[in-house]
Formats: sequence, structure tokens, C-alpha cells
Amino acid sequence: MTETLFEKIWNSHVVVERENEPSLIYIDRHLIHEVTSPQAFDGLRANNRDVRRRDLTVATIDHNVPTTDRSLPMIDETSSTQIKTLEKNCKDFGIKLFGINDPNQGIVHVIGPQLGITLPGSTIVCGDSHTSTQGAFGAFAFGIGTSEVEHTLATQTLWLEKPKTFEILATGKRKNPFAVTSKDIILSIIKQIGTDGGTGHVLEYHGDAISDLSMEQRMTICNMSIEAGSRAGLIAPDEKTFDYLNNRKYTPTNYDELVDYWKSNLMSDTNSKFDKSFTIDVDKIEPQVSWGTNPAMVSDVTGKIPTPEEFGQNNEIQIESAKKALLYMDLKPDTPIVEIPVDRVFIGSCTNARLEDLKDAAEIVNGKTVNSHVGAMVVPGSQMVKLEAEKLGLDKIFKDANFEWRESGCSMCLGMNPDILKPGERCASTSNRNFEGRQGSGGRTHLVSPVMAAASAIAGHFVDVREFC
Amino acid sequence: MIGNVIKYERDNIDTDVIIPGTYLKIHDYNELATHAMEGLDPEFPSKVKDGDFIVAGKNFGCGSSREHAPIALSTCGIKAVIATSFARIFYRNSVDGAFLLPIEVDDETYRKIANSDQLEINIEKNEIKNITKNETYAMKPFSEIIAKIIAAGGLFKYKK
Repeated sequence: MTETLFEKIWNSHVVVERENEPSLIYIDRHLIHEVTSPQAFDGLRANNRDVRRRDLTVATIDHNVPTTDRSLPMIDETSSTQIKTLEKNCKDFGIKLFGINDPNQGIVHVIGPQLGITLPGSTIVCGDSHTSTQGAFGAFAFGIGTSEVEHTLATQTLWLEKPKTFEILATGKRKNPFAVTSKDIILSIIKQIGTDGGTGHVLEYHGDAISDLSMEQRMTICNMSIEAGSRAGLIAPDEKTFDYLNNRKYTPTNYDELVDYWKSNLMSDTNSKFDKSFTIDVDKIEPQVSWGTNPAMVSDVTGKIPTPEEFGQNNEIQIESAKKALLYMDLKPDTPIVEIPVDRVFIGSCTNARLEDLKDAAEIVNGKTVNSHVGAMVVPGSQMVKLEAEKLGLDKIFKDANFEWRESGCSMCLGMNPDILKPGERCASTSNRNFEGRQGSGGRTHLVSPVMAAASAIAGHFVDVREFC
Repeated sequence: MIGNVIKYERDNIDTDVIIPGTYLKIHDYNELATHAMEGLDPEFPSKVKDGDFIVAGKNFGCGSSREHAPIALSTCGIKAVIATSFARIFYRNSVDGAFLLPIEVDDETYRKIANSDQLEINIEKNEIKNITKNETYAMKPFSEIIAKIIAAGGLFKYKK
């Protein structure tokens, strides 16, 4: 019988399986951050339970951290309390923490792979929906709620209903692989399958257009799989995967042996059956810009804001939601995308704040200056990314162009720290969600790739980055 | 289970409007609840009554894995969200922690239920009675697994 990659990973982690019951699945890696864990530790204490596998559990602080000078005391008391709570919980339960001043601190989904904690074929959870990022390494990686964080801490297992499988075949070659990025591929996919197209499914990406991508680009694809409603994104590991994970801080000592095993096991069998399939030809993809308030409301940069009727295509509810989105975004139908001005530019988040993202953005910015009406910032995904970028002199390029160069964290992706939009401000953002108020109450988010964000910072409005390169 | 409807005629009501990120720092659930639905309807905490139901379109609860979303609604007194579909993490969080019932209905039922209608939800019969309009609708039955978890009062109690 043929099996998909997901089914292979699932089957190798089943502890208990009974008919019409959820299955008990073993969890190989549990990542923790300060926001979704405090009540889980409260629950452990209340029930007098311990952490079952502290050696498989790793914590960092990313959502709340200030991205400005961290030698200064934190102004926000509730954030400070939440950070101290995680520090205390990790100390009390003996969990490894990459704290606020640790050289390995960073966004949890960025540091997992960088430290070699993320491994092919493994099950990875975190109380964070963008855990799906790590599916780029051929891991079943998914977000969970706080009750499940507690369950994982206590048992190193989770009760799960088996998700269905969804094949995304990406064919062809991008016409301009510098300007048309993996962000544009995933936004194009979400535009077509919708924000609930993947509900209840694990998306498995394959095809030449996926093999072509670097590991960091693949992470962007898997990261945003959750925006299509799916449980997780998955890409079979290959040589690029094995090279990336070699010689990292926590790469297992028997790595070569593992690679041999992964090479012969971690792929979907030929002719394996998926519950759903979708094919996208990347030849035709242009740089994308979101115009609405969910990640399926996206247009080509050469296009215009659609009318609600064009967007909704006879679906009354969709037409209505497009009207509400345009009202919130203060945009009029038929406006060319390139005529939309931007107030702020945010290059950061678990979607697009890795070294390649910053290198590509810096290439656009080099020798130019941010438009005088625009406030622009770069927030590296981790301290490791920041250090590597500084070694390459990227910080200087950005700072010379009037970008702010910050410390690592989630920052303006979700506005939990002081990095937020003011009401009415319009932002070109490399993050993953353009929901109302996501980047600050009344803020207007346009999702774009790092090179598109960089180009719009220079121009002061959206611009086709292909004109810059 | 009888309650009144607070209806939002929207698809994709996401976790960032249910409980905006800035409030995820709050540890106390009662305080968290004072910000429920703030991104969409700041009046919500003052108008919601214990036992009320939210009615909305498809993909309710999309976005983040924050369990704070069903918790904030449940702490306000919301006993069920009736929607044409749910994002799965929200659905799991709602059921696992027994915070509220996520009930799926078809588009026609969604259209028929109006704001302030009084409903009676009967999960044994998979039926929703609209007391105000004297109509009865079918709800999508819970899967066998979900029904067992709900009956037990949450996943962890069910598996004890």
C-alpha cells in the first residue's frame, strides 16, 4: 500500500490508535514561548505534575520582547511580568530557555531550524500557529492551544484526529526568481484555494518549483500554510535540507546515519493518494500585494484593487466582506496597486526575517534612501540572523538608507510589543496576517515579500520590484 | 441550552479581532474577557449576557492558536458559536477545554437566524429551535469523537 509523507510520519508516531477515537501521537520536540505557556505551567502545578521530557522541550522569548536597546528596563509591566513568568517556569521545571539576552534568542520558528532542533520526520508542536514553518524540513509541525501545551508538557503526547492530505504541485520556473519570491508563490496559492481551502488537511508541496527553493524560501511557504486553514505544511527533505541542518548547535551526533534513513524513507510513495490536490504554475506568478483584511485578498502588483463584485463572484457574503475590507483599508476599487502610498515598512516576522530575506531586501536598498514620508524598520528573526547580517554589513546598508535596525523578535507582526502602527497608518509588511488591527488598532497591513517591502520603502508607494532589478 | 443571538454577518472572523494580540499578556481570564471581540465590536463585552450565542459566517476563528480566543468568549458568557464553518485550531481549543460549543450550520440557517433571536440548541437531537421565529433548523452533527469529548467536559476529562 502506498503512503504519503505525512502518513509515514503519522504512522511512526502513533502510540495508541482505536477506531472512532483520536489517536495518541508522540511528540518529538516541544517549543515554548511566553504567551501561550503560563496557564499550562499553572495547570502542572495545580495537579502536581512534572514535565515529562524536559530534554525535548525548549523555550524562548519572542512575542513580547522590545526590539530596541535591551539593556534598558522594560516599560510595559504586563509584558515584563509575562517574560519573568516564563523565566521562572523554565527554572522551576528545568527547561532550557533562550532568554532575552541569549545569543540564540529569536522567533521560535526561526531558531528551531537554526539550532538544529527541527529534524526531518519528527513531530513538532508549539503554542503558536506558525509552527507550520518547520514543515519545510519534512517534519509534521503544528500549532496547539495552551491546554495542549500542558498536555504535551505532562505526557509528551497529544490526542489528535488524523488530518487529511492535500497535495500542492508547483510546476514551472519563476521568470525572475529574485523579484518573484516564495512569498508570492504562497500568496498566490492562498488567493486561489482560499483561507479555508486547507481546513482539516496537511498541505504537502512538491514539484520542480518547490525543489528549486532554498530552505529559507521553503520555510516561508510552510509558514503561511496555516493562512489557508491547513493543519500544517510539509515538504519532503532533500540534499538542501540535509546540508542546512548539518553542524548546527543541536544537530544529533549520529547525523549521517539519520540522513541515510531519511533519504530512503521520507518521501511520498509514487502514486500515493491524496485526499485533495491543486496545481499551480509558477511561470505566471507576479509579485503580490494584499489589499484586504485576509491573506486571500491579494492582487498582482501590476493589477488594480478589485471591485467587491469582481472579488466575490456572485457570493453575497464574499462581496460583503470585500466591501468591509475596502472600507477598513480605505481603498477604492480600480485603484492601481502601484498608486497606493505607504506610511510604514516592516521587514520582519517568522515568515520573512531570515538571512536571505534581509540580503535580498538589502540589495534593493543599497545606496538608496527611504522615502521621507515613510518610517521603515528591519527586525531580524533571531540574534543569530542579526549577527550574520551584521557580518555581511547589511545593517550598515539599511541604516545608511534610514531604515531602523532592531533586535530580534515578533515585533510588528502582531503588535504585542511597542512596535505598532498608529490608527490609519498603512504598512507594507513582510509578515503573514493582514487581519484588522493585527499590527495595531486601526492599522492597515499589506502583505508583501521582503524585496517588495524594500522597494516600496524607497518609492513611498507600492512599486513593481522588477523595475528595481 | 437557551440563549440569545449576537450575530456578525462576516466570514473569516479571526483570532486577532476576537482577542487582539496586545491583550495576550493578560494572565487573568476575567480581565481578558473585558477585551473580547474588541477588534470587531468594542461594545461586545457590555452587551453580551451569560448564555448568549454568537452567529457568524465561514472560517470562524481563523489565525492564531491562542486559546485566549475561546476563553475570552466563554468567560463573557458565550456558550456556543454557530457558524457555517470553523478554523480547526479554534474548534479544537473550544472543544478540548470545554470552553464553548462550536456548532456548524448551513448557509440557509445562517441567513435565517437574526440578531437578538432566542434559540434553543439541542445537541442530542442536532437541532436548533428559533423560539423568536418559531422555526427549527438542523445543525451539522458532531463527529462521534467530538460528541464524546463534549459529553465528558473536555478532552482531558474524557481521556482520564
